[in-house]
Amino acid sequence: MHIHVAHRLPVLFFLALMLQACSDQEPKLIEFVDYDEGYASKPDFANLEYEHPLADTREARADLARITPDYLEGLDQEQVDQIYARLSAGSIPDGAFDGDLFFPRGSSGKSRKAEIVGGLKGLIVSYKSKKLESLGGILWKGKVFYRDERVLRNRIEDLVVLAPLIDGSVTDIPKIDVDQKDAWLMFPAKLFCGQSLLDGRRESVIIDYAYTDEIDGYRERPDYLAGRRGFKVRDEIRMVYPGLYLGRAYLGRFFLLNFTLYNKEFADRDRSAWIETGVVTEDCETGTQRLAAASNDD
Amino acid sequence: MRQFFVVYGARLVLGLLLCGAVSPSYAVTPVSGYYQGDAGLTASQRAGREIWYKATAGNDRFHTYVFQQRLGILIDWYRVLNSEERDDRFAAWGLINDPDCCQPGSDGCPAKNLSETYGLDWCPGDDDLLAHVGKTGYWDPACDFQEAEDIENPFAENIPPDQRQSSCDLKFGTSTGALGLRKFPNPKFDQQRWLALNGGNAGTWEGFNGRLSDNPASSDYNLSRLGDGSIEPPFLVGMACGACHIAFDPLNPPADPRHPEWANLKGVVGNQYARVSELMVSGMPLNSIEWQVFAHARPGATDTSAVPNDQVNNPGTQNVLLNLTQRPLFDELVDRWRKTDSCEAGESEKSCWCEPGKPGKCWRRSEQMQPVHHILKGGGDSVGADIAIQRVYINIGSCSEACWVNHLTDLRQLDPQQRGYGQTAMDIGQCRRDCPEFRAIEDRVGSVLDFLILSPKTRATDLLEARRNVKKKADPSTEYEYDDLVEDLNAEFGENAVSRGKLVYAQNCARCHSSQKGEPEALDFHAASSTGGVRSDWLGDDVPTPATEVGTFRCRALHSNHMQGHIWDEFSSTTYKQRPPGPGISEPADGGRGYYRDISLVSTWAHAPFLHNNALGPELCGKPENQANDFYRLTAVDADGELLPVSEQPPCWQYDPSVDGRFRLYTASMTDLLNPADRTPKITRLNSDIVLDIGPKIWDGEKETKVFGLQVVVPEGTRAGLLGNFQYKDFVVDLVLAKTRPKELRARLGRNLDKKETDRVVADLESIIREALADPAQMLGSIKKRPYLLELYSSCTADIENTGHDFGGELSASDKQALIAFLATL
Repeated sequence: MHIHVAHRLPVLFFLALMLQACSDQEPKLIEFVDYDEGYASKPDFANLEYEHPLADTREARADLARITPDYLEGLDQEQVDQIYARLSAGSIPDGAFDGDLFFPRGSSGKSRKAEIVGGLKGLIVSYKSKKLESLGGILWKGKVFYRDERVLRNRIEDLVVLAPLIDGSVTDIPKIDVDQKDAWLMFPAKLFCGQSLLDGRRESVIIDYAYTDEIDGYRERPDYLAGRRGFKVRDEIRMVYPGLYLGRAYLGRFFLLNFTLYNKEFADRDRSAWIETGVVTEDCETGTQRLAAASNDD
Repeated sequence: MRQFFVVYGARLVLGLLLCGAVSPSYAVTPVSGYYQGDAGLTASQRAGREIWYKATAGNDRFHTYVFQQRLGILIDWYRVLNSEERDDRFAAWGLINDPDCCQPGSDGCPAKNLSETYGLDWCPGDDDLLAHVGKTGYWDPACDFQEAEDIENPFAENIPPDQRQSSCDLKFGTSTGALGLRKFPNPKFDQQRWLALNGGNAGTWEGFNGRLSDNPASSDYNLSRLGDGSIEPPFLVGMACGACHIAFDPLNPPADPRHPEWANLKGVVGNQYARVSELMVSGMPLNSIEWQVFAHARPGATDTSAVPNDQVNNPGTQNVLLNLTQRPLFDELVDRWRKTDSCEAGESEKSCWCEPGKPGKCWRRSEQMQPVHHILKGGGDSVGADIAIQRVYINIGSCSEACWVNHLTDLRQLDPQQRGYGQTAMDIGQCRRDCPEFRAIEDRVGSVLDFLILSPKTRATDLLEARRNVKKKADPSTEYEYDDLVEDLNAEFGENAVSRGKLVYAQNCARCHSSQKGEPEALDFHAASSTGGVRSDWLGDDVPTPATEVGTFRCRALHSNHMQGHIWDEFSSTTYKQRPPGPGISEPADGGRGYYRDISLVSTWAHAPFLHNNALGPELCGKPENQANDFYRLTAVDADGELLPVSEQPPCWQYDPSVDGRFRLYTASMTDLLNPADRTPKITRLNSDIVLDIGPKIWDGEKETKVFGLQVVVPEGTRAGLLGNFQYKDFVVDLVLAKTRPKELRARLGRNLDKKETDRVVADLESIIREALADPAQMLGSIKKRPYLLELYSSCTADIENTGHDFGGELSASDKQALIAFLATL
């Protein structure tokens, strides 16, 4: 299909309106420090947070609470990193969360892999990345946290792709019903507070699959895929606001992708109080960068 | 030991009676033989000594969590510190047993079994510490630190006690049983889980550090639960400066190195036997890249840029800290923070900062000329002795989370646009602001310097005094004076050897190894200084000399962490950074690199083997009973660089800290030094294949099968430095460019290579890509087919570790003997 520019204008206008409408719901106060392409140009997290804290005032928290998974997915990787580093782990979640994943994007907006490859091949890589994101979204629906046991399981809705890798009957696999949708609970992981592989200044909630064969319900096929004999998956998350977490997934300590975990019920229940008070239970070490700002104007 | 417990008990009761009130859950500062060493020290020196020996400044979190989880390198603390191997600890790890600690169940030890101490030694203060394992509320002994009001040296600010950061942040904990390693109760410890993990036995960590599988065919054979971050061990383990610097006193060594007394210890000469590198990777399997690349420094040396990794493999010895009042100073341009009373309104905190709640405690950053020492081997840490001390703490893990892990290279990040691809500079101002432990040390660093520079503890350890002590032990009435020493040396090294040796030294060595000016023949190397009774001559000028002129193994001189934009940027002077590249070096040597400072030879009789890497002289070994902890590697090679057969390898010398042992080692090392043509070259090679498994495997209950992926094996015998120095990030980036943007690659390579060389590199990189895409497992083979690429992408291509410093090789045999004799008197 080929549309003449003149014919496309109304469509573009409509899209612009839509985007404008969307942006009204997006955070306005989140500041990002300038950076260039090279790694050395990226701002130091400690000074970034000192100068541009994310959640220090009610107004800032209200703005942060406008963050949606879609908003985060539209950012380039450095912007995602600058947000992640200014978050704390918050409380170790409990219950079922909806998940979404997105690959790192470069400053051009394309997937970083596509940027590296460049040219036509880069476009193909970009297309494949989007397909992978879509596939991931179809397969993986989110995570279920069992806070008291410090265990997590993943919600898998479609077993078509995984079926050849599963031993025994799928009916043995426990299921969960979230919003009237069934999902299998697979790929168990251990939950603990630990070191972030991006920002060492404070701990994140770690979701580690390395030693999951000790967890009740572990079945070698397919759960090994995430474990120490498989892809060596290790996730870490920090709380954006109660109900929404931003995560990073690593394979063998190589950063692979970002993900979000959202529970609307928890968000609706706890977000307002958090905006008002800023108080949240911190289960993990929050680090020592909590010294009150000492402005030379004081 | 029994006497100590009597004294300790009496002091405890006395303390309770006198003090009345007690601190929360901790009665009195533990009393130990350690305090005998405070005799003769001023209040500030005493305070500095205690910090040097005990303060960890919070690095227990680094050695328990950060190193393991963030950097992925496992320390097996139980392997190092378990009490059952207390008597083997020195032979295995070179660690020195704390005289105040004991094996649970041994005669007089307060702990009756290993379960009480979770398998470690019992040490003073453990009654309270052990009661807090798995609980909060531990009162760290550092909270009871006795502050010194004033400092004495000019190299630091005197921060008044009421302005100082809480002494609790010095974090002493209690001894682990090995000097310098300190333990802290882990409040997150879960006793029930620990017992379940360890078969119901609290006295072992074997469920934590043991193999996951006994089947060598399983990948679990090489793994333990040390990498399971959900398991909290009973203790966090921290490291004080003393871990590397406390050593046996050359003047009064122990009769049995396994059981020293406090009088046998000296805090500043450097532990010549410590295997810190092996300790730091003690939880990694032998065939891991981490073990093979890092755990091969010689005893007494360690690669201090292994953690803040600069991909320059360069182990070096701990500096011997003696007669520091005489150490040369250099006027250099220095950009650093300096103490001030106030900042101007509106002034940027990047240039001036006042600590909240501490009126008048402000710091302003400025660039000025100031006198500084050249402290590291290449002259780095040259912005003042106070900040050099701070970097020691930083380098052993303090403030890692708040200040510097975010500035490290992530060894797995291969995208130059992403954080972690390379280092960035640690920001001292930010660290001071955000890390209380940084301030806790900084506010007392003057006392540390008082101990190191001004105290009698750091005076030279002369052979004369050492031999006198030996003789007096045998017969207290014996007199042994300088003339007696000379007579003995002349008897061993030839008639008039000492007096002839003085002239030889003046004419051949004093150019670099003297801090005096003037006609060499007129110099008096024994003259006492006017300050503190130490000798006037520091026996080194600390001037940077091109590594190519010295000719020794140059990788240490190519250490890059102090360059602009690199992690320790703020710890080197502007003058350092502006030095011209070390001349005649084929690898990049800009930014201050390419030099070695001329070291001091004070008491050098006690500090063989020689060179910055301890490679010149006999190889040392501990010969521990536990063969699994025998880390000695064969290094002697033939003229082609091939490892000599075991039967032709020179035998290693077992650790011997006795006066005679040190002197024999000195003599053999000097002979090696002065006869460069007779040296057997040494190259450290991998002593096991490195196996890199990439891709998932499936376990069917009996065997493991790779689903897809590849296995890369770096064979045993590969030069260790080749791997550690390989700039694989640049290489990978160039491989990608060769495939995607060859023109860009050509332009980049063309800056350093001519067209013909550039064409060759691009063509070969393209071929490697093609071959690797066809068979990824052959990637390493593809690279090895083009060995020049390994050189091109290497930060340091030097291979012979005991080469260079040929000065003196041309002397006559008798003059060499004379020189050995005279140097032994200094």
